[in-house]
Amino acid sequence: MKRLDISKLDVRALVSYDACTRCGECTATCPTGGEAQDVELVTPRGKILRLREFYKRQYGLRARVLGAKEIPDEQLKELAGRAYECTICGQCKTVCPAHLDTIEMWENMREFLVANGLGPLPAHEQIVKSIENYDNPWMQPRTQRSRWSKRIEKDVKVKDALKERCEVLYFVGCTAAYDPNIKDMAVDTVKVLAKAGVDFGTLGNEEGCCGSTMMRTGLFESTRKMVQKNIEMFEKAAPSLMVTSCAGCFKTIKQDYPKVGKVPAKTVHMVEYVTELVGSGKLMLGKRVEGKVTFHDPCHLGRHNRLYDEPRKIIESIPGVKLVEMDRARDEARCCGAGGGVKTAFPELAQKISSLRVEDAERAGADILATSCPFCYQSFKASIEAKGSKLRMMDLMELVRLSAGDG
Amino acid sequence: MTGGGYLKDRAWLYLPFFGALALLCAVILLLPYETVYVRDRAYLSAFLFSIVLCLAVFFIGTLYNMLLWMHGKGLIGTPERRLVRTLLRALRLVISRRFGRIFGTFAKDALYLSKLKDRSVSRWFMHLMILGGFVLMFALDLLVTFSLDFLKYGPMISEDGWAKLWLRDFGFDLVGLMMLVGLLIAAVRRFVLRPKIVRTELPDSVSILFLLAVVLGGFVLEGMGIAGSIPGHTENVEYSFVGYLFSLPMSEGAGDLYDQAWLVHGVMSALLIAYIPFSKLFHMIATPIAIELESAFPKEGAP
Repeated sequence: MKRLDISKLDVRALVSYDACTRCGECTATCPTGGEAQDVELVTPRGKILRLREFYKRQYGLRARVLGAKEIPDEQLKELAGRAYECTICGQCKTVCPAHLDTIEMWENMREFLVANGLGPLPAHEQIVKSIENYDNPWMQPRTQRSRWSKRIEKDVKVKDALKERCEVLYFVGCTAAYDPNIKDMAVDTVKVLAKAGVDFGTLGNEEGCCGSTMMRTGLFESTRKMVQKNIEMFEKAAPSLMVTSCAGCFKTIKQDYPKVGKVPAKTVHMVEYVTELVGSGKLMLGKRVEGKVTFHDPCHLGRHNRLYDEPRKIIESIPGVKLVEMDRARDEARCCGAGGGVKTAFPELAQKISSLRVEDAERAGADILATSCPFCYQSFKASIEAKGSKLRMMDLMELVRLSAGDG
Repeated sequence: MTGGGYLKDRAWLYLPFFGALALLCAVILLLPYETVYVRDRAYLSAFLFSIVLCLAVFFIGTLYNMLLWMHGKGLIGTPERRLVRTLLRALRLVISRRFGRIFGTFAKDALYLSKLKDRSVSRWFMHLMILGGFVLMFALDLLVTFSLDFLKYGPMISEDGWAKLWLRDFGFDLVGLMMLVGLLIAAVRRFVLRPKIVRTELPDSVSILFLLAVVLGGFVLEGMGIAGSIPGHTENVEYSFVGYLFSLPMSEGAGDLYDQAWLVHGVMSALLIAYIPFSKLFHMIATPIAIELESAFPKEGAP
């Protein structure tokens, strides 16, 4: 009989499975289980009850007295498939009256699924292989990683942090480095840093994938080497501060890297850093940018790291811009649908979820939908185009760059 | 792990655990219970036997659930050893300077249910009535038993004593009413209104109906005592204001079945306690622990 290995489930998670009150508060706002397809097993409550039932069948008191029961493979696969439909947005953590840290629970559940041969899904395998072979999820050669910076090398000097000492290390991230539609995010970020007179650099082609995609799909153990290698690079560069423009990289370096090793410098997201630069007068946002802007809180920045005020402060500092809030904002913000490997394995589901968010932005009366995450950006841009919406998709650094007077 | 080490780990956990359980059971069995309302001591003995058995099931079930938690990653050693270490660590926290903060979190998040209040006042009220009633009932039970059987406190014993009137009669009825109100709202919500987020399966129905049966049974029992003028229910009966209302439609003959009803109520209450570790009601224990874990040991890098 195949016995589930529960030694990969975190002690806190095991306590939390018993602490779930089955109230269902999480089911109504779950973007995948409740809103997009109304399937109980995808909801937090559904997953908790099913997994608890499975391991109690094999480890509970009754199993100890009467013997453990076999769990049919198809039931296990069904749970695994449904568990991977979760974007790990953390909306359930926001609403859970029992204060369960569901973000930790889902990531840990995936580690458990991987340890038991139930994850990741076949659809994730290509990305995993790409990260293992190319150090990025987009099957792009390592030598092309810093190519994005070529087109601005005349205007902005991007230091190689491994060769020249620099105060600030900008961790670009795979999506901004390789995706032709997102490259502007990196370009805008370095232009903003340059405009503020920041002494900064990047790791160039030596920068590796942060490991976020693999960690979110439960492959935490496989990322250890990758994380260690990145930390070594950080140590070599020895910056005073590290900044990221990707919410996923930010969460991973800030919250997950310390589980593997010590990150040698404080890590902040660009929204935090720009807020500080504007506040200290180092960055002047003087140029008018006309438009009604609504800000989408990326899950990794908002619910996972509670950075809600910073992007709003930045938007409000830009002359001419009017900030309008969507009905669901801050910790109640809807997810973009791309996280947790959902966009890779379930693209239609991801599209459905992002469309709901685009509708939120339209209802708010915005002209511009701004965000600070390349995945959210990608998803919304596709949804805006698919819907024929009049909304303009912008990364927050693009707005900042326009107002700072560069471009 | 060597066999000796394994046995040592188990001994460290099970010897104190079963020792404490045996001591508790002995205290329960040896108390005089001179002031209980049941007249036939055979019924009292039957109840005491059932409560001791059910308490043992409750504690063993709870211990087993906790041992299951200890199978998880993040700790070293056998589950028994991990549990002993975790309990000692928890004890150290309780007697540390951080206790105030820990208790504050417990009071705000686990008892007052602050987060639920922010999301839905009606559900918060419902849950607070059930949980508050349950906790206060337990506290009152301990207080009354201690006053009666250890202190022999006069005002708790005499028919017109202030403690008898305000704690044994009014107090129990008030907290029982709290539970009844909460449970009725929960039952109507779950079985009649059926909002989309509510999912009713057998364990949900059993838990709510079991609790309702115990609480309603308590008031029916009190009504029978008042209607039948059972000792302890003859004077100032209006202090037991809910039991008194229940007594109104009852005849004097209801008192004839008082002892049997007392045993049924007692055994059902005992069974409810035994059921907790094996039901959704276990969240009463697990949720405060989960809340305290998050509060006392935040994860590295957490915002």
